[in-house]
Amino acid sequence: MLRSLKGFVFHPLKLDHGYALHTAAKDCLSSVLSQDVQIPAERPRAVFYTNETDPANHTEHHEGRHYSIPLEEVKAVFPHGLPYRFQQQVKTFNEACLMVRKPALELLTYLKNSNFAHPAVRYVIYGQRGTGKTMTLCHVVHYCARQGWLVLHIPDAHLWVKNCKELMQSSYKKERLDQPLQASSWLKNFKTSNEHFLKEIKTQQKYVWGKRESTEQGRPLGEVVEQGLARVRSASDAVGVVLKEIKQQCHLGSFRVLVAVDGVNALWGRTTLKKEDKSPVSPEELTLVYNLRKMMMNNWNGGAIVTTLSQTGSLFKPSSAYLPHELLGKEGFDALDPFVPVLVPNYSQREFESCYHYYLHRKWLQHEQARTEAGKEELRFLSGSNPQQLERLAGPL
Amino acid sequence: MAAPSAAGLGRRLRAWLPRLTQVRWTRYNPSFLEPEVNKELYRKPWDELSEEEKEKQELRALQPIKAAPPSVSCSVFSDPMISKFTNMMMKNGNKVLARSLMAQTLEAIKRKQLEKYHKAPEDEKEKIECNPYIIFHQALKNCQPIIGLSNITKGGKTYQVPVPLKDNRKRFLAMKWLITECRENKHRRMLMPEKLSQELLLAFNNEGPIIKKKHVLHKMAEANRAYAHFRWW
Repeated sequence: MLRSLKGFVFHPLKLDHGYALHTAAKDCLSSVLSQDVQIPAERPRAVFYTNETDPANHTEHHEGRHYSIPLEEVKAVFPHGLPYRFQQQVKTFNEACLMVRKPALELLTYLKNSNFAHPAVRYVIYGQRGTGKTMTLCHVVHYCARQGWLVLHIPDAHLWVKNCKELMQSSYKKERLDQPLQASSWLKNFKTSNEHFLKEIKTQQKYVWGKRESTEQGRPLGEVVEQGLARVRSASDAVGVVLKEIKQQCHLGSFRVLVAVDGVNALWGRTTLKKEDKSPVSPEELTLVYNLRKMMMNNWNGGAIVTTLSQTGSLFKPSSAYLPHELLGKEGFDALDPFVPVLVPNYSQREFESCYHYYLHRKWLQHEQARTEAGKEELRFLSGSNPQQLERLAGPL
Repeated sequence: MAAPSAAGLGRRLRAWLPRLTQVRWTRYNPSFLEPEVNKELYRKPWDELSEEEKEKQELRALQPIKAAPPSVSCSVFSDPMISKFTNMMMKNGNKVLARSLMAQTLEAIKRKQLEKYHKAPEDEKEKIECNPYIIFHQALKNCQPIIGLSNITKGGKTYQVPVPLKDNRKRFLAMKWLITECRENKHRRMLMPEKLSQELLLAFNNEGPIIKKKHVLHKMAEANRAYAHFRWW
């Protein structure tokens, strides 16, 4: 019913008059409902919403619209990884709505058309601060989770190279350092998001954890994860084993792997950690970073690597840096080269209107002046159409 | 001969003693007019203005105008009461911090009310107020005392005499009580926005320690009714 209206409603309307788009569409939708009483269950959704909850079916038609993810799926797919402000928004509004934007659609088309017999392609999402890189990554992660891929989501690689309370010498290799807390929390979240894979994937060699603990060959990967969670000392090694097993087995084709890393520039930068003799630690001396770097190479096939650059948590990088070469440095750029860069810009006119109307609809913009044209123009000017600034400005209003 | 040297002497004396003579201050000549920050007034075409407005505009074209202070903004979202409260919360001139605390407070109030709103059944939804500005103004209004006490010395003894309060004094007292309450009576680790949002929501419903303080003041004034005739203004 709505499909037949689409050509009639959306194309002739100009995109400059966002108000006209919203009200005209609402009028048309309400007239449809008055004619057709047989679908009372489908409430009239405004232009900035879309009922399509499966990211696989998102096309350019859905650009600028919000799609909602059911809350149980949010807990299962994103135990970690959503930005803190977005988590607060989900809690307040009681729904998780993500805007479909062009960079995410571009990435989804690449993933749909990729040939998994070829080596894994690296995608680097970059952009200025607050333009929506992490949310684009979350959209891609949701798509892959829906498609049944194994998702290795590292929510923020910067957390692994700074503020580590417990740094231990690794038992496996003398010169490396372990981070038990970070490794165990990552294993916990990995377990929540990929329950069924942990039973299917079997280890291909024997691993000895200590004098009395070992995992035999052919045991499910879930045991390795349990071992890492139970014995926190060996959690970093457990992470290394998990990554190694997945890399060895994904080319067989029974499952696809998505490696999603947020803040990948942390892997090739500097750390603020110090050894006991106060000498600085470089990233490759950390077990977690060393194993993750091996995952980022394109010598395996059967999946994709989607990463995000982030200046916000980075160390020793100027705040105006956002381009891949500036943030990754020579070492990182050479390691990731060749990659597909994806730029995430600020909101376009249409996306800004959509976000503004979404906030109005969810009663987030409460100030009576915020409903007027003058208020909207002021918000547009003050935020510069930057998604993060708009969200921060709309908070107290 | 004497006049130029006297003027020169005076100028030299003034330069030598900057603290004793007035060099720069905020009092303008009375001919200076207040700045007009309302954008709507400037957007109106000439014909739509009424007679007095036309006269005012013509006067403004000729008379000098005072510099607009940084606290006055032409934003449609600016509120003088909120600015006053932010200034009272400010410590050591750190307006950036005070403003961010105020923004976080308003956001915290909005989040709490919206969560309540979404969980409430349909018929109770209209009663829940989600606009943090309305809550703020109503809470301040509920905290304002009607009558205050003033110390009057008569015959060697000081009496607490009930006295009507001016509007400015009422607003000041309400804001001062709110801020001191939030600064002193809170758990060590609780942040100001959280505590302030709690107090504002309680005051909006006419509960909480600040309303109690107001009632105590009213009761004291009622108890000291006998001395009301000591007031001479």
